[in-house]
Amino acid sequence: MTLRPRPVAALVAANLRRHTRDRTGLFFMVVMPFVSILFVGMAFGGGAGSSRLPVGVVAPGSDAVTAALLAELREHPDLEVRPLEAAEDVRSGVRAGSLAAGLVISPGAGRLDLVVTQTNGSGLAARGAIDGAVAKVAAVLEATRAVVAAGATPEQAAGYVRRAQAESGRVGVTGSATGGGDPRGFAYTAPANLLLFTFINSMAVAAALVESRRLGMLQRALTAPVRRRSVLLGEALSRLFVALAQAALIVVVSALAFGVSWGDPLGVAAVVGVFALVATGAALLVGTLLRSPDQAPAIGPPLGVVLGMLGGCLWPRESSGEVLNAIGHLFPHAWGMDALLTLAEPGTGLDAVLPQLGVLAGMAALLLVTSLVLFSRRTPART
Amino acid sequence: MTAALSCGGLGKRYGDLVAVHDVGFSIAPGQAYGLLGPNGAGKTTTISMLVGLLRPDTGTVLVGGVDLAREPLRAKSRIGYVPQEIALYPELTGRENLRFFGRLFGLPRRALATRIAEVLDLIGLADRADTKLGTYSGGMKRRINIGAALLHRPEVLILDEPTVGVDPQSRKAILEGLERLVGDGMALLYTSHYMEEVERVCDRVAIIDHGRIVADGTRRELVSLVGGADTVELVLDGDVEAACAKLRAVEGVAEAVRTGAASVRLMADGGRYLLPSLITAVEGHATVTATQVIEPDLEATFLHLTGTTLRD
Repeated sequence: MTLRPRPVAALVAANLRRHTRDRTGLFFMVVMPFVSILFVGMAFGGGAGSSRLPVGVVAPGSDAVTAALLAELREHPDLEVRPLEAAEDVRSGVRAGSLAAGLVISPGAGRLDLVVTQTNGSGLAARGAIDGAVAKVAAVLEATRAVVAAGATPEQAAGYVRRAQAESGRVGVTGSATGGGDPRGFAYTAPANLLLFTFINSMAVAAALVESRRLGMLQRALTAPVRRRSVLLGEALSRLFVALAQAALIVVVSALAFGVSWGDPLGVAAVVGVFALVATGAALLVGTLLRSPDQAPAIGPPLGVVLGMLGGCLWPRESSGEVLNAIGHLFPHAWGMDALLTLAEPGTGLDAVLPQLGVLAGMAALLLVTSLVLFSRRTPART
Repeated sequence: MTAALSCGGLGKRYGDLVAVHDVGFSIAPGQAYGLLGPNGAGKTTTISMLVGLLRPDTGTVLVGGVDLAREPLRAKSRIGYVPQEIALYPELTGRENLRFFGRLFGLPRRALATRIAEVLDLIGLADRADTKLGTYSGGMKRRINIGAALLHRPEVLILDEPTVGVDPQSRKAILEGLERLVGDGMALLYTSHYMEEVERVCDRVAIIDHGRIVADGTRRELVSLVGGADTVELVLDGDVEAACAKLRAVEGVAEAVRTGAASVRLMADGGRYLLPSLITAVEGHATVTATQVIEPDLEATFLHLTGTTLRD
């Protein structure tokens, strides 16, 4: 009988079959991500369709500046302007959470009152959007004033400024797309949960690797006519396939069921692929360092949750503050979020996320090399 | 004839601790070789070096004439190794576990299912093959553990304590199966704590202690190494005292003691071969009505050589 050892295929087939027998594991892979996307998504700005921040505006005046400001706010892609009668309505709306922010525009534009809560992420986002709109109107006023001071009539000044605005219009569109903060609803929770669950479930399947080591499966596999690197590759690929399957499932189901638009397929595939490598490296590392298979579910997923928190996968990262977000960027989730949210913006592609891809690839390489070296060392013969 | 498995000068040390020193033996096809030793004697270290899990500091291992160090893949493909622990996936069925090992060893795709069925028949688990391994009894798991090493028709089967925690019925099935395989020409290296298993299955036995082989031979050779004489008990009818004097005079009899009204106990080298002379010697004085030869056993030999019992 001619033997043609197929260690990689043997290990991948056996490991994947083992995972399909793990009902709890399957539940966490197939059901939980969508429960999380749905509920967190609904809590955080409704669905994909109504991802605009509601802003209550009291604008009794009918002067040009008020009109310009209202027009600017209405044009903002992230804001939904709700005209209100009294400043008190604005305050109670913001307090109750039905409004992300409120703005009282005094006639003549001498004074603007902004009503937001400091602790609320969408409030901060709305504030950013309103600041942007106000700045644009202010810039127009400033420009007009400058032209008048230079000797033009107000009519001529208005004409010049309009022309200047039209010329910078293209730039303005690009600016409004990136300046509006993170998207809301499913557009945010789908990528967040993709990263969260790909990582957590990779950590959970590390238990199977610990179990293999404990049972002596790897030892025994090495007595077959196979090379050590094939056994390592087989174990690594088994985990990578789980990570990729989890990510692919979330991309496809969220696109079909929640209408999430992920952006450039090539870019998304690259980010997801590199992140899956990171998760695989982390899973191999955990699977190598732990001694008992019970430790993996006890340590892996909590670690995944904490990294997810820091990376903005559990709640909007705009509510986390700069320090936390900076710490988050020591870990892969934050970079994954940066990349996936960038790709979700129209007109972006692979080239827009090259820095994030580079960082993630570096993390993946570091984790994979470390874990494979340790894994190889820790699989010697028992004496 | 090329030995199915031979090793010579095998040595392994861990710092100051010598785990194995100058171990060597040779197993012919169709021969069953037992490795006996107390815990920590170096059995598992020796086996790990034979199956390529551990690189020896000194010595060579040849599998069917192939040098394990030079051509590990070719040499390993001729070995079937059954580890002491149940190294199988509990989430998978018996058949799926065998499929894993079939792929690992590289059985041709088309032959795989047939060969798995053959092995399942051989180990008597065809009817339970499609239930999860986790639901099997200890004995059934042990049988799959052995079956996994047989799929690729190895020339030599190496078993490390294959019957630990096995019910008597499974033990019987396992031992019978092994005897059949040896009968078909497979070479066998067997370690066990159970002396009677080694005595039953193995043609030759090596006793290993403190990393060295202290004795090696057939069971009889080992037992005679101790210089142990057989004990022969005779029941006589007639003049027992006179018969006893005659028996003392037979060559090879070291001692003859009257132990009852009609019974005599003799200590004799090769007692069972002396029986005809003993019966002839008492003629005219008494008649031998019953005999029993009690040989010194391997357990006694083991105790003598290693100063310890096997099951410590």
